[in-house]
Parts: sequence; C-alpha cells; structure tokens
Amino acid sequence: MSVLSRRNFVVWLSSAVPLAVVARRADALGAAWIRDDFETLVALARAILPSQLGTDGARRVARDFQRWIDEYRENAELVHGYGTSALRFARASPRARWAAQLAALGDGFTSLSGEERREIVRDALDDERSDRLPDVAAAPHVALALLAFYFGSSEAADLCHEARIGRERCRPLAEQARKPLPLRGRESRA
Amino acid sequence: MTYLRQRVAVECDVCIVGSGISAAMVADKLAREREARVVVIEAGDEVPSLGRRGALRQRFLDYDENPWPRDHLEGYDVEGPLQSRSMCVGGLAMHWGGVTPRFSPEDFKLRSLYGVGTDWPISYDDLEPHYLEAERVLGVAGEQGPPQMDPRSAPFPMPMLPLTYNLELLKAWVAKAGIAMWSQPSAKNSVVYGGRAQCCRNDTCTPICPIGAKYSPDFTWDALRRAKRVELMTRTLVRRLEKDGSGRVTRVVAVRRDAPNDEVEVRARTFVVAGGYVWSAHLLLLSGLANSSGLVGKYLCGHRNVQAYVRLPMKLYPGINGQHSLVSKQFMRVKRRDDGRYLRHDLRVWESSVGQAPRLRNSAGKLLLGDEILDDWRSRTQQGVARLRAYYDVIPDRSSELTLDSSRKSPWGDPLPKLAFRDAPESAAVKDWSEETIRGLFAELARAGGGEVIRAQSDAFQDHPAGGCRMGDDAGSSVTDSWGRTHDHENLFVVGAPTCVSGSCANATLTFCALSLRSAAEIGRAFPARASAVTPGSTG
Repeated sequence: MSVLSRRNFVVWLSSAVPLAVVARRADALGAAWIRDDFETLVALARAILPSQLGTDGARRVARDFQRWIDEYRENAELVHGYGTSALRFARASPRARWAAQLAALGDGFTSLSGEERREIVRDALDDERSDRLPDVAAAPHVALALLAFYFGSSEAADLCHEARIGRERCRPLAEQARKPLPLRGRESRA
Repeated sequence: MTYLRQRVAVECDVCIVGSGISAAMVADKLAREREARVVVIEAGDEVPSLGRRGALRQRFLDYDENPWPRDHLEGYDVEGPLQSRSMCVGGLAMHWGGVTPRFSPEDFKLRSLYGVGTDWPISYDDLEPHYLEAERVLGVAGEQGPPQMDPRSAPFPMPMLPLTYNLELLKAWVAKAGIAMWSQPSAKNSVVYGGRAQCCRNDTCTPICPIGAKYSPDFTWDALRRAKRVELMTRTLVRRLEKDGSGRVTRVVAVRRDAPNDEVEVRARTFVVAGGYVWSAHLLLLSGLANSSGLVGKYLCGHRNVQAYVRLPMKLYPGINGQHSLVSKQFMRVKRRDDGRYLRHDLRVWESSVGQAPRLRNSAGKLLLGDEILDDWRSRTQQGVARLRAYYDVIPDRSSELTLDSSRKSPWGDPLPKLAFRDAPESAAVKDWSEETIRGLFAELARAGGGEVIRAQSDAFQDHPAGGCRMGDDAGSSVTDSWGRTHDHENLFVVGAPTCVSGSCANATLTFCALSLRSAAEIGRAFPARASAVTPGSTG
C-alpha cells in the first residue's frame, strides 16, 4: 500500500466508518503504522518538545509515547472518586486517528527544519482554542497528545523547576524536608 | 443437568457484617483479647495483593484506571451523594487518604457549649483511651500540637511525618497570621511499623499506596486470617437479620454471589453491623430491626468545606509529597460567640500547583510549542501556590436521611438506598455567613504573606459522612447506646460511622475506629479473655 493511499485509508477508517469492527481493524493497522512512522514521531517530538531534551531525549519520549499508545486499554474502568456512584470507562483508542494525523504531516516532515515542522503543527492545532493541555487520551491531535504526555510527566516538572523533585516516584522520606537538589548538567539536558 | 439448591449454615460467637475499617477494628480487638469464634461476611471481593499494587498504581498514573479492580457491586448504585461506591474487603478505607485527626472535646457537647445540635452520650475523655488504641492499631505518625488545642494523654506511636520543604515555608507563612499549624497525623508509616514499610513518598496515598506504608484494613484481615482468628466469607451478601420472639437477633440470611440460589445462614451469639453509613441503616431497614425510635437512617451527618488557592511570593517545588499537609485545630476549639452565631472549622494547608500547569496558549492567546511552553511554565512557577481548606460543622436535620427506594431494586430484588443530606435550621441559618467568614480568613492569610487568593470555592458535598444509627442514652431519640448496642436488641450492635451524633469538622475515620474499639470492648465482655493478650498494632 502506498503512503498516500494508506493515509487516506486510515482517515476513512477512523472517521468516516465508525463501525466497531472497522474501528478495531483501523486500530490494529494504526498500531503498525505508528511503528512504521516512528521517525516521523521522533521528528515531531524533536520539534515540539523542549530543546533541552536533545535528539536522544526526544527519541526516548517518542518511544515511551508509543508504548503508552500500545498499552492503552479501551473501556477500562477509570478511577471512581469520592462523591459519586457513577462509573467512568476509558474511551475508544485514539490510535487510528493519531496514526492518520501522523501520516498527514507529510512525507518530507522528517527532513524539514525544526521551525518548518513547528509551522505545520501550528496550522494543525490552529483550531485548538483552549489554553489547557488535555488528558492524553482525549487529545484531538497526535501533536497535542505528545505535548500532554510529556508535559504531564514527572520529568517535565523537574525540568520546569530545574530541580530533582521526582514527583510520584519512590524517594526517601527523610529527604522531603530538604530543598530539592538542582538538576545535574546531564539531567538538565535530559 | 439438575441444579441442587444448597443451604449453608454457619455457627459462631460473633458475626460481623461488613469488612471495612470499623469491622477490622472490632475483629482485631476481639482477636487480641477474647476467645471467640468470629465470622465476617463481606458482599464484595478480595482486593489485589500488595505485590500487585505497584503495577496497578502505574496504570492509574498512566491511564487514570481504577487501581482496585472489582471493588464494587454491579446493580448497587445509590441515589444521592455517595462518598464512594467501594464494596470490597477493606471497604471504603482501601481508598482513603490515611488522614487521622481526632475530633475535639467540643464535638461531643455542641448543645451544652453552643446551643446547637445534640450532645453525644460520651465525652472526649471517654473516647480518649480508644483514640490511643486506634492510633496504635492503625499505626499513626503524628506531631503533638499545642496541648490546649490538641489534648492527648500519650505520644503518637510513631514520630511525625517530617514536614516537606514546601510545608516548612508555608508553616512560616501562616504563623505570620497568628495561626499555629503542625504536621497532619496520618496512618502512614514514618518508620517500619506493624510489619509494613516506611512511607517513601509515592504520593498516591489516595487512591493506592503501592508499598503498604499506609494502613488499610486488608492488612488486619490478612493477619487475622493467617493466625486463624477470623473466618472471612467474601462475595456473600447479607439480605436481612432475623430475631426471635424475645427480640434477640438469631441469624443473618445471606446469598452467595457465586451461587445465587443457595441460602447462607449464620447463627451467632452477637451480631455486629459494620456496613458504614449507607449499608448499616439499609440492612436494618430491610430487616425491620432496631427502629422503635423511627430513627434508623435519620440524622445523616458530615461536614462541608470551603477551599481556596493562594498565590504567594515564594518559590515552591510541587510534588515533594503533595498529599501531606499542615493542620490546625485553632478554630475548632472556640468559645460561644457573643452574637449567638455558631462556627467551628478546621484548617489545612497543602502545597499546590493549581493555576500553574503547563499550557498551550499564553495569556495573549498565542499558541506555544516546545521551549515556549517550558519558558512560560517556568515564569509562572517562580511564585508558589498553597491550597487552603476548612471543613466546617454542619448540624444534621432529622430529615437528613437514608430511605429505601422501592422504585430501584438490587439484583436480589431488595429496594436500594436513597440519600438526602439536609441541614438543621440552626446550620442552614448560618451557612452563607460561615462560608463568607472562612473566605475572609483565607483572604487575611493571603494578605499576611503578600499573596492573593486566585480561586475559592465552597463544596456542597458533605465529606466523611456518618450517622443513620445515632447513639444516645434515650431509646426514644437514638438507635444505639454509647457502646453501639441497639436499644431494641441486646445482642445486636452497630459500630463506627453510623453511630455518630454529628460529623465534626475534621476527617472522621480515626473517630470511627475509636468508637468501634470502644464497642468491641463491650462486645468482648460476653466472651472469655485470652490467656495472653496481644499488643495493639501487632496484627495490623
């Protein structure tokens, strides 16, 4: 299947024909295609994540994001908080939609400059009026999902504060009284 | 294939209905001190073992998935404000935050001191030894507050959880406004305790501690079952209690969820209803028991809160241990006001990152990417944000109630509960003023630190709900006596949350535990003492 027809096919599957069986097929194909388009995902990460991550860091985040997509479970029961007896369940996998959007970034996306890539992403996200980064699974565009995935992480919080906070990681209790240590040079470049 | 309907009959000394934290306290104390065969009946499932909780927590962090699979029953939706739908071994306390303040002495005599609500039939001093015992069983790490605000007769069993770097700065800030705060007592291990690990700040105490540093009732059940001190029947739903002609309760009738046609009967000398504020009253109403006063299900109580986020000119590092907080009882231990109005509240302070999340567009609406997001985020986190929250007293009305809703049935055909919380007139009259007064305090605190309130809100939900089988000395105006023994049936007890007369203005779980241990002392009197009693906390 050529790249062009593949892209059209994914778009058609994921949006025009919302039948469950077709959606599942689209999801399976989307999984393979995101893996095939991994270098595009890395190029996207390189363009829209902090430059301090560098190429290796962007590749690592792209790999983690890929794993997040692969391990997503549709209809999983979500945490039920206090004050309600209502249950919530994970939405349909966004994978096919994101695969199509990744493909739609264009064949030459990886060879563009960072600014040229960001310009394409800005055009793609132009309709996003909210200033909030959404929950990853709810992101309407793969670029937005990648931003939400990274900037919601403990690593990003450390980079923001330029300190080794290690949010939600197992850490010695006694050290919580101390000011978090600054990031080491290598960590600050992630 | 022919299906043979079975009938399962069990005989024991004490039958406990429910396996939440109050049930665990009763079973633990009986096991430590008495020779009695105890059978516990739980409608829900076993919870995942400690070894699986790290992976379940990760799924929660990554995908917001429920880390407690199968922790509720299908078909058991409750109409009205429900604290949580958890029905599993350990109950709602599998989800709790492990926060364990005590009520204050004033809580037990609101009518005498302030002219509102109803006095409890016990005083703080009556409950104090049981508070100590509960703290030892759960394993509470705490700091002694100023004695006039925080009376206690013995130290906490564990040293306090150290204040975080952020909380030390915030403590200094509130001190400028003349408010004394200290480390929130918590059932989280500041050292290895009860065979469980020291807290390592995973910071997901709610909804799941992956290492068992936070107490949850499953640890008590595991220990008691290993020692063969209790029998715990899971997936077994009690449908009714039955009495004989003398008024003594003789048996519970239950159904096994795996074999719905089988009937389970448990006969015991003493029955303990430990189903929390919803399912205790629900079971008594279904059974037509303990209700000569007409008050089963009435006087549901809790406390509402006002909270605010304050931006302060200090650099904080959110995420050091975000679930730990400062606490003060300064506004709980107040005198009657000259103007006759009534307000008591607690005060807690946390680090926060509200209003400081990374964002896609800046204030001018420009789309941000990459370094632009990071730079914008950094610039907005040079100042810190504190979260303030005050629970305030809400006096329950008689019509604050749980009723049976015959239009909605469980899978077994029983009417489901319906909840409605309503303020007594003396509370309703001061609600707006109370919330405005608390907001004023928050604004004053912000000013003292050179900061500003960036968001404030009042919550209509009543947290830590309780009541429904309130205790009292008069059988005409209460369901149980001060020990939780129902006035109508001398061998039927209700323990924990349902027996509360009022909900205080502080997290209530430790009080539920202390009340349950006090009930267990009375329940245990009917059974021989163990040759060598076991130290509290050694099974938990």
